[in-house]
Amino acid sequence: MDIFLQQIVNGLTIGSLYALVALGYTMVYGVMRLINFAHGDLVALSAFVGLTVYTQIFGEGITSLVAVIAVFMFTAAIIAVVGVLLERLAYRPLRTAPRLSAVVSALGAGLVIQNAVMLIWGPNMKIFPSEIFPSTIWEIGGIVVTFTQVMILGISAMLMVTLFFFINRTKMGTAIRAVAIDQDAAKLMGINVNRIIMVIFIIGSALGAVAGLFIGAYYRGITFDMGWMYGLNAFVAAIMGGIGNIPGAMLGGLLLGLFNAMITGYISSQWAETFTFILLIVILVFRPTGILGETVAEKV
Amino acid sequence: MMTKTSMIALVLLIFMGFFPMFVDSAWLAVGTTFLVFSVVAFSQDIILGRAGVFHMGHALFFGLGAYTTAILNVQFGWPILATWAPSVLIPMVCAFLLAGPIIHLKGDYLLVATIGFNIIFIQILENDVFGLTGGPNGIFGIDIVRLFGIQFASQTYMYYMAFILLGITLFIMRNLDKSKFGRAMFYINKDEIAAQSMGISIRYYKLYAFILGAGIAGAAGSMFSVQYSAVSPEAFNVTQSIMFFTIVLVGGSASLPGVLIGTFIMFVLPEVFREFATARYLVFGLAMILTMILRPRGIWPVKFGNIPSFLKKDVK
Repeated sequence: MDIFLQQIVNGLTIGSLYALVALGYTMVYGVMRLINFAHGDLVALSAFVGLTVYTQIFGEGITSLVAVIAVFMFTAAIIAVVGVLLERLAYRPLRTAPRLSAVVSALGAGLVIQNAVMLIWGPNMKIFPSEIFPSTIWEIGGIVVTFTQVMILGISAMLMVTLFFFINRTKMGTAIRAVAIDQDAAKLMGINVNRIIMVIFIIGSALGAVAGLFIGAYYRGITFDMGWMYGLNAFVAAIMGGIGNIPGAMLGGLLLGLFNAMITGYISSQWAETFTFILLIVILVFRPTGILGETVAEKV
Repeated sequence: MMTKTSMIALVLLIFMGFFPMFVDSAWLAVGTTFLVFSVVAFSQDIILGRAGVFHMGHALFFGLGAYTTAILNVQFGWPILATWAPSVLIPMVCAFLLAGPIIHLKGDYLLVATIGFNIIFIQILENDVFGLTGGPNGIFGIDIVRLFGIQFASQTYMYYMAFILLGITLFIMRNLDKSKFGRAMFYINKDEIAAQSMGISIRYYKLYAFILGAGIAGAAGSMFSVQYSAVSPEAFNVTQSIMFFTIVLVGGSASLPGVLIGTFIMFVLPEVFREFATARYLVFGLAMILTMILRPRGIWPVKFGNIPSFLKKDVK
């Protein structure tokens, strides 16, 4: 029972990270019908940028809350700029091209970011500073909960609730939903589609950046090629929840995190991805639109 | 009468035929691998370019062929020639079993599902499930091809065997274009719904393409394992699959010269620029983006199916 509860805590932590990354995928897919294969590499880039910002600008050993928040904000801003540049340079010229051309461009962009990280920070694993969050540990009935985990769960939940209200309650959110349903009709209603797509990339990349920093703080070791696996898991989570559906990405992320933690806890971590993809294929066969996705009639 | 394209093809054929005489063994190995990868790229093109199935896990079938030959030869002592048939048939059977339940899915879902198959395949190899695959190190010491007491050991023999395999593949591809199957796939790729209403069974032809592509990739895999006399999981991971996927789209899908150019750019050029080891993939990614922006249909796109210009002249 202890293992079970412990794995639930761990699973929710990983799940929140997947959910944050999955939101970036699902929002881009919802508006552009494009798998942004470079998104996972943005997450990895964020961890490295955050590391440099933390150690170079603020100096090592600073643990004040203000400094940590500043690191997060600054890194998220940088990654958001990179995300917007990515859209401008690699995706916008291909908006009317065949769908697979944009996929190749996304793969190429991922390769560029990944190798840029390798050239700048080197091919070896870097260690994230441990003091970014206090090393406080709570033990509740045999379950260990770290301060970092609480931070991840809390901040992710806060960001997701904010995003949910932003999408559903504000004018900009309504415009985003309109563009996702029909770009041409949205244009006729006076919505600037290019601006909406830019906003999508800013939000998606910033959320991915926060996830990247948390990955650094939680797992400590970061490598230049780690983005691919986080990205893939997050994309699977987005599909599970129903691609293009924002609450679906959150739910999918949490469920996939829990599922992963159970497999790791009870079977073996060596088989984690195998079970993830078996689950994905089962979901695709029986419910191709995902858990929360709606069936949309295909336009001819 | 010879067209410009067939002239280029003839010159290229002669060049490739005499290639082993000009180069040292390292470049000969690159040449052989180029031929093998071209075969895999053509088989990916059958699935992706012709049938329009978004398939990003092709290294799985390439690897299945390679591992079939390696396991039958090293663990069970079969001669290499005897492993050729199973290394084609096993990928075909697996393609049928894996693709059967998911072939009806929409493009991007298929992309992720096929990546998933590839990742599962790699984990099975690395975790050494049946005690046959040698785990993360793979299998070493694969035999050479022996026939009637002759040993086809040298790299030059390997090169010509791969050359013959590419010839067979090109022959299949040419016949595909002219057959009922090829035309059906072309229409499916152009417009699935229209094709379906003409009575073309989408499921049948897509599965057909998938199985045919898997078989050809398996044959290339068998050749690959004999060339290097070893197999290991990382030669067949998702990165490889992405390479085959990109080769087809960068070169030009459903275009024979396009796929060859794609293979040359994606495989041979990185070998040429090996000395710039660290930066080359950065440049590579940039080149992928630029190619797609400047030529969204690939470097040498296919012409088949376009309206001839003499019909379009009068329309103003």
